[in-house]
Amino acid sequence: MHRHLVTLLSVGLAAGAALGAELAQKQPVYVGVRACATCHDGAGMGNQCSLWVRSKHARAYAVLAKPEAKTIVELSGIPREPQESPMCLGCHATGAHAEEWEKDEGFFVEDGVQCEQCHGPGSEYMDQSVMVNPEKAMAAGLQMPTESDCMVCHATKGSHVAVHNRPQIDIAKALQRVAHPTPSPWKYDLGPKLPEGDSGDHHPAYIGVFACAACHKGPMMGYQFSKWRMGPHARAFATLATEHAYEIAKEKGTGGSPQTSEACLKCHASAFFEPAGGQRDSYWVHEGVGCEACHGAGSEYAQEARMLDARAAHTAGLKDVTRQTCLSCHENAHDKPFDYEEAFAKIAHPTKLAQAAETPRYKTPLNLALTPDGRELYVTCEASHTAIVVDVASRAKVAEIEVGRHPTDVAFSPDGQRAFVSNRLDDTVSVVDVVSRTQIATIPVGDEPHGVLTDRSGAFLYVLNTSGDSISIIDTATLRETKRLAASRSPWSLSLAPDGSDIYVTNNLSRFVPFREPSMSEVTVIDAARRVVTERRVVPAANLMQGVAWHPSGKFALITLNRTKNLVPMTRLMQGWTITNGLGVVWQDGQVDQVLLDEPNTSFPDPADVAVTPDGKWALVTSSGSNRVAVVDIAKLIEMLTSASAHEREHVFPNHLGKPTEFVVKHIDVEYGSRGITITPDGKIAFVANALDDSVSVIDLDKLETVGRIDLGGPKVITKVRYGERLFHGADITFHRQFSCHSCHPDGHVDGLTYDIEPDGIGVSPVDNRTLRGILDTAPFKWEGTNPSLQRQCGPRLAVFFTRIQPFTPEELSALDNYICTIPRPPNRYRPLGAELTEAQRRGKIVFERTMANDGQMIPKENRCVTCHCPPLYTDRQRHDIGTKLQFDRESHFDTPHLNNIYDSAPYLHNGIAETLEEIWTRYNPHDQHGVTNDMTKDQLNDLIEYIKTL
Amino acid sequence: MSRMNSRRVCLVCIAFSTSVATAKLPYVYTDWEHFTVKDGLPNDHVFCVKVDGPRVWVGTENGLARIDKPTGEVWSWQEKDGLPWQVVSSIDVNPKTGEVWIGLFGGGLARFSGGRFDHWHQLNSGLVNDVVYGVTVENDNVWAATTAGASRYNTVTGEWTIYTEKNAPMEEIWNYGVCYNNGKVYLGIWGSGVLEFDVATEKWKDYLDPDGEMEIDLYRDDGVVHVITTGVSYVDNILWVSSYFGMCRYDGRHWRGYYERETGLPSDFGNAVKGRNANEAWFATDKGIGVVTDFASDTWVTYTMDPNTHEGIAVVSRNKDVLEKVRSPQGIPHNYALWVEFDGNDVWVGTSKGLGHAKGTGYYPGLKDRPVHTPSARNLVDARQAN
Repeated sequence: MHRHLVTLLSVGLAAGAALGAELAQKQPVYVGVRACATCHDGAGMGNQCSLWVRSKHARAYAVLAKPEAKTIVELSGIPREPQESPMCLGCHATGAHAEEWEKDEGFFVEDGVQCEQCHGPGSEYMDQSVMVNPEKAMAAGLQMPTESDCMVCHATKGSHVAVHNRPQIDIAKALQRVAHPTPSPWKYDLGPKLPEGDSGDHHPAYIGVFACAACHKGPMMGYQFSKWRMGPHARAFATLATEHAYEIAKEKGTGGSPQTSEACLKCHASAFFEPAGGQRDSYWVHEGVGCEACHGAGSEYAQEARMLDARAAHTAGLKDVTRQTCLSCHENAHDKPFDYEEAFAKIAHPTKLAQAAETPRYKTPLNLALTPDGRELYVTCEASHTAIVVDVASRAKVAEIEVGRHPTDVAFSPDGQRAFVSNRLDDTVSVVDVVSRTQIATIPVGDEPHGVLTDRSGAFLYVLNTSGDSISIIDTATLRETKRLAASRSPWSLSLAPDGSDIYVTNNLSRFVPFREPSMSEVTVIDAARRVVTERRVVPAANLMQGVAWHPSGKFALITLNRTKNLVPMTRLMQGWTITNGLGVVWQDGQVDQVLLDEPNTSFPDPADVAVTPDGKWALVTSSGSNRVAVVDIAKLIEMLTSASAHEREHVFPNHLGKPTEFVVKHIDVEYGSRGITITPDGKIAFVANALDDSVSVIDLDKLETVGRIDLGGPKVITKVRYGERLFHGADITFHRQFSCHSCHPDGHVDGLTYDIEPDGIGVSPVDNRTLRGILDTAPFKWEGTNPSLQRQCGPRLAVFFTRIQPFTPEELSALDNYICTIPRPPNRYRPLGAELTEAQRRGKIVFERTMANDGQMIPKENRCVTCHCPPLYTDRQRHDIGTKLQFDRESHFDTPHLNNIYDSAPYLHNGIAETLEEIWTRYNPHDQHGVTNDMTKDQLNDLIEYIKTL
Repeated sequence: MSRMNSRRVCLVCIAFSTSVATAKLPYVYTDWEHFTVKDGLPNDHVFCVKVDGPRVWVGTENGLARIDKPTGEVWSWQEKDGLPWQVVSSIDVNPKTGEVWIGLFGGGLARFSGGRFDHWHQLNSGLVNDVVYGVTVENDNVWAATTAGASRYNTVTGEWTIYTEKNAPMEEIWNYGVCYNNGKVYLGIWGSGVLEFDVATEKWKDYLDPDGEMEIDLYRDDGVVHVITTGVSYVDNILWVSSYFGMCRYDGRHWRGYYERETGLPSDFGNAVKGRNANEAWFATDKGIGVVTDFASDTWVTYTMDPNTHEGIAVVSRNKDVLEKVRSPQGIPHNYALWVEFDGNDVWVGTSKGLGHAKGTGYYPGLKDRPVHTPSARNLVDARQAN
């Protein structure tokens, strides 16, 4: 206990530097099951610790070593080891989201779900003088969990059902299984007296299994610790508290508790196996038969340097395990037959794991660019994290270059010596030496870089930080960022004017607009000479502006866009007037025209990119939702616009389905998921990146026909997930192929709009669109929480209210859901992996978890941030009334959204009325229904937000 | 947004007396032009001015204006044009991005970029308070001096940091002025003297009046002249400070206090200060502009407007001895001066009745041998009144 208090004090002091002594002293830390077991074990306390050791909770961390756990993280789009993923550990361990300073040195995450997972970090209530008084203990932080607390982890998770296919837990029965009542009257039990050490320094001491586990865990060591923990050896001491153990002891004539009987302990606890030099503090008798029972007391050989030298380790006491080692306890033990070979195979724990079959890895080409000499085509492949080089003459793949993760766009220096590839998942740009075809440098940039482009001289590289709403400008000589310009929201692609003067940047998301008003998107104009933003042109009622290309005349640029009528339900779908798809003509003088590419009965869903032939005759536009390329006769388009009245240009053409027939001369079929497009300098050939076909289509521009398909070498098999991905991005599911899932959830994320969904009536219950990144286990779905599964969410309901044709078949639905589950969250930008919390984030964490308001009043549990937004998903998956119901809302209770990467999915609240995280509390929580926040000072709120952004 | 052609008045300096000898004297601005509502400013109460190359940004009580010097055009923005709040109290320009950062008195903070305003305030952001007196750009950060502390906004990470009495030696939190230069941010605070923030170490240092809150200076030059400071300007490693009870200069070791009674300051009530270099600083007061033109010799030029004739009066003095007095058809637009901004050799002065532009043709720093305009009897009377 004394050691613990010292630790607490030091932790408190460390934290105090940032937090102020007052708060630091009150911040509870996790003390670990051993500290609890000091009192809570033995018959007089209901053998509580032993009950836990025998429970699944104690093995919860260890089971993450199973292959099933790997399958679940893959299915969930979590690119990490299950035993290292906070998402998994949040329910499979205790204190997974606690910082290092919030854990005592006797606390081990490897103990799985231990006492403090349910009862709260124990430092403030663990003292005996506090614990004997329940009220005092509760005031000091002791929690008594309810069924709903258990359900935070035990509610059905789609990922787990998919792998285990287990029925929903019966929580009442489960609670009976883990019940561990304290007897009345209770009595402390001292537990077994550990063997005294032999005299002399040469005897090694027992150091306990956690000392071994420091190295012997994880996939590189064959998950050895976890294998032990899942085996019966780990429960050998705990089983001595069972009735059966008492019976055996009685038969053997051993009096009292078997857990204190040396005869029993001889084979049920490591330290009793052989005489040794005693035990170190790290040894705990509850580990049962640990590593040292077979391998010998470890104090002298456990050091890594010695263990790496087999002879030295053996000299220091490491024992080889033989048949006799096992038989010494198991032979004729309690009249149970013992098959050595069979038993040994069961507990085998080699360091090398069996090789698992790899899932097919696709290429997913997104964008492409030609070298300035036009000889090679570079294709960025999102899924394979590579840039593929295609020889233009032979139309064959000639190289594949490893770059960063999720490469998205590529551009060349004007001299063609270097290629710059944006890596959306890594927040970097790869610099590729074109001659050697190797990555020679990476440049850190902003959040989720997308479009890249050099200026005419090649001196500066422009990188669009899609999630950061900014533009990084890189000095290509030093490869350092020189400045960062503000864009609108989600800058996507960019194009340099033919004279090199201006750069036009498309923004994928609309600016924030007042509640229930149409989109207002922006083309950001950069003066390439001064490298500053000079204009921010408004494109009204448009969103998802992605591709951009200048006309060689320099008079205008073309952009792709959607026009989403999100303010009314999709009742006009039959008239082709819900999500329309088109082109924008951005004139140099500032005017912007909009025209549709949809025609009656033939929509052009999800226009993704546009390229203009060098002679300015044709514009080619890709449709990722219909796998086609539209060929636009630019002269006809411009003639149509310039001969029309201002009224027609502003009010008629942007919505006119009949007009495209005047300037779209052909649709050319390409392959699945057509995205980026580029045209050779001679204007003869266009190449199209087919994201979901792992190929590049070759279009002959004289014939206006596809004349070839370049295979980029992806797997030939179409997995269920890939099939689902195609369904997600394809518009075949909607009436007249007007839109796809991707149209509202571009690349699985958000379009930033608030929708009026029909079932509740027109104008009623508008709801904010939510990201699909990492949503797998966050059921129920919909803001009103009425859809318990993705199957339900994307099933017939979708057809009735959105797509208006036959719903997905069960097979399609299953594949679609499978794909949606794998849409990963990008790494958190506010807390890189392994980084410590900043001081502000640390202070914010205390606010997030606080139990008392600034005036010292206890905050009711149901009104604390962490109660509803509890880790690991930061949602309790329940509906709550947080006082945000507005006049036209049908419901007052809304689903609790998860908070992972919450910073990149503004706006917030069920109706998207809060543009920023701050507004959630400064404007829309007047009565403290959404957590007690009105007592907070502004700096506390800032800290809270800084912390929330790290989740 | 509206635009107007400015009156481009060619002013001729008229000296009312003749020179009879030469002496080491400072440069005196006599060629002034004025900008008011008539010239396109949205309001005559000019709170701040910021020169950005050929553009001059002007903050007024009812809008923002931009004077394009090459063309003389005046552009203005009010709330109807998208300006988020009418009262523009401070302006700074990010030299890297060209973004104009605007402090709004009661309306928070705005960024003007590409013709569009973005708005941060205490409800939608981490800004500590909407009453913003001062704004300055420090690297990728924007500082706002507000009535409830200082805010530092990282434009790259989006993080807001608030500095108040909780985490800075801020005895009062009413921040008036803020400036950044050479790795240091200075805050002028009502009741808390001057705070220095070292950007590299993120450490604070406070400069308080050793005489406490007394309005007299018991021991002169022992520190900042008073804790009620209004403006700070840091240039050439010299800190210039204005307060409501005198002005001062600090070289990192020695303080020097300036008072109306012993210098060319027209008043001890300082609204703002702008240091041009280590030797020259301009103090905007409620009774005109006081300029210490040469620190070593304590030579001053006092610029006022004759309230009767609206002529400009410039008085050169040293130790209260008037060395020269120059009248010009125009001077500062009004004696209630609120801001000073340098523009090469030119100077812009914001007042409660318009913006003054002093053209510095032939400007020279410090002192130079030149003919002395001997004051006439009438002018001497005026000079005494002006001092």
